[in-house]
Amino acid sequence: MILQIVRRLVQASVLLVTVSVALLCLYAHYRAARVIDDDQLMAGLRGEVVTKMVHPYVDRLADPQAFLDGNKGTLWSMRLMGVDIADPLAAAEMAAASKRIHWPLIASAAIPIVITLLFGRVFCSWLCPGYVLFELTGKLRRLLRLAEIRPGEVVFSHRNKYIGLFVGLALAALFSAPLFALIYPPVVISRALHAWVFGTSLVGIFVVLGVIVAFELFVSPRWWCRTMCPGGAVYGLIGWIRPVRIRLNADRCTGCRDCIPVCEEGINPITQSMSIECDNCGVCIRHCPDEALYYTISLPKPRGYRPTPRKIAALVVVFSMFVSVENAGAHHILGLPHYSYKENYPQRPTLEYPAHTGPYDVLLTSYPGSPVPGEAANLAFYIKNRETGSVYSQPITVRILQTSTFGDNTVVQPAMTREPFDNEYKFHVTFPLEAEYVIELSMPVEGRVEVIPFLMIAGQPTATGSVVAAGAGGFVLLFVVARAVQKKKARRRANAVNPNAVLVTT
Amino acid sequence: MAVNRREFVKQGSAVALTLGGSVYLSRIGEPASASTPSPLRPPGALPEDDFVSTCIRCMRCVDACPNHCLESMPHTAPAGRAGTPTMHPRKASCMLCAHEDSEYLKCTEVCPSGALQLIEREREEITEKVAIGVAEIDFDLCYSYNNWSCGACFRACPLAGEAMTVGAWERPTVHPEACVGCGCCERSCIRYPHAIRVRSNV
Repeated sequence: MILQIVRRLVQASVLLVTVSVALLCLYAHYRAARVIDDDQLMAGLRGEVVTKMVHPYVDRLADPQAFLDGNKGTLWSMRLMGVDIADPLAAAEMAAASKRIHWPLIASAAIPIVITLLFGRVFCSWLCPGYVLFELTGKLRRLLRLAEIRPGEVVFSHRNKYIGLFVGLALAALFSAPLFALIYPPVVISRALHAWVFGTSLVGIFVVLGVIVAFELFVSPRWWCRTMCPGGAVYGLIGWIRPVRIRLNADRCTGCRDCIPVCEEGINPITQSMSIECDNCGVCIRHCPDEALYYTISLPKPRGYRPTPRKIAALVVVFSMFVSVENAGAHHILGLPHYSYKENYPQRPTLEYPAHTGPYDVLLTSYPGSPVPGEAANLAFYIKNRETGSVYSQPITVRILQTSTFGDNTVVQPAMTREPFDNEYKFHVTFPLEAEYVIELSMPVEGRVEVIPFLMIAGQPTATGSVVAAGAGGFVLLFVVARAVQKKKARRRANAVNPNAVLVTT
Repeated sequence: MAVNRREFVKQGSAVALTLGGSVYLSRIGEPASASTPSPLRPPGALPEDDFVSTCIRCMRCVDACPNHCLESMPHTAPAGRAGTPTMHPRKASCMLCAHEDSEYLKCTEVCPSGALQLIEREREEITEKVAIGVAEIDFDLCYSYNNWSCGACFRACPLAGEAMTVGAWERPTVHPEACVGCGCCERSCIRYPHAIRVRSNV
């Protein structure tokens, strides 16, 4: 029981470390730009957190810069308190994709490898944020069962993940690009947390998690961790010789089989606790009513691992590959102005929108890049002939329409015609509402009028699709919960003895 | 263990669908379009193809850049480039770690995979090894070539005098052999669209 609480705390702390490292990096950026004291730039939630929760504590350290330099990255490869840690799968995949060995990367995978050699697949059960998500999915299946909606119970083979690992590495080698780096759940989650802290959007990568969760919910329980995770395969293979294992005391076991359905990896703890599939999560120990399962430290049976001089030498080599990272103070050589965070510096980022028609390259530049509804935005069209290199000089016409999900688009800015000025066409327009607009450019090209639409988003309008999806998801969940409650009540009624019925029969 | 046909099809299709889905999602089978130039890479990056295969997409360089000029490429990037670092000088340019006290350029120092080769923060080493791209001027847009006088890019250039020189009316000239492609000129250009931009070397 205590072990399970510790495991939950460790899982939570991994998420916390991932977010904290991203937050420290964000703080490092603000610090490098010297804007911590700038109230205007540090406004908003992100700025508040950085100035109130990070800055006072880090700034108090003896060498804040060294501390900040020592914490970077995501769970794929992280520098934590100055120590480089990389996922062994990252090292393996990079070696496969680039067909060469980069020793510092192998060295930084040494800590996880050594931990796995000792404790087995604990990176799955104790540290992986994906495992947390899929454990929760497993809990959701219980709700489905409670509502008497029977989720699928398809069982796939544990071997699939080893096949997947090797075929995936082969594909990475074939395409010379990593395959797992973008779908491996812990990395996807830590990258998403990182993006969340930094305020960038990375919606696309959630597709992976969504597909896995849906598949586990309705088709195959704990499908990913049990049968498909390439990281689990790597850790399973490395953890083959682990001395820390779960054992069964056959004298105490009454054969109640309570441990089998609770096993996160879908194995039978009574017979298979020695297998490489066991991730030492200890859930079976907690559910054993007879205390027959226990953790033990034992060197494997003679059939298993035996340390030979060659194997010891290999371990020594792995350890000796640790190279400490030193930062030496160096001299200052270049003098540059520093602009980036000062958005009031005249060159604010703009949005550039290229298009092509006939021989012409059309470039729409919008300033500011994402227009504020109700405020003036500047649009500049720059049109150049790709073949002759000369600039287009005939008058052009622009009108703006607001898009509508249902029905026709409405014109919010009637057609305006402009002559070029300094080789470009300038329009000052106002987008009235938070919505999607179409900027329609009409220009004469070779005797006919070409119309080019440019999509422009003002503010952050809510997409109709996501509203519908969220609404439908919420409705389905409500339905499942309501059905679960209803079914539970019905079962309770059926089980309760009906006093009237008893009276009649006696 | 005997494997019957039904079981073989079931397990095989699970593995094949997963890997097929991963290939689709990571877009590694998709070729880069010939018309789009290759993205700007951080200093010390290997040649583009080697870079894509070597970079493990851990985002450490994105975190390390003191000027926050690097960002991870979106999931929609073709040719397996998703997640690799790139730079948009118009948002933020490479400052060549000018305000830092580190021995090496910071992105190259944190890279665990060797996709970014170590570069010392010395002027000679920087001019020799940093090859993000080369700045190109659009003479139809540049104010100094169109009856005005500006010079913003020249003032921003960290290697002014070597990578960029100015003539009468502050008309800039880029010297490709000395330009490292840091993008400070693109960042500082006051024209919309900008009249000078960095083009990757590949």
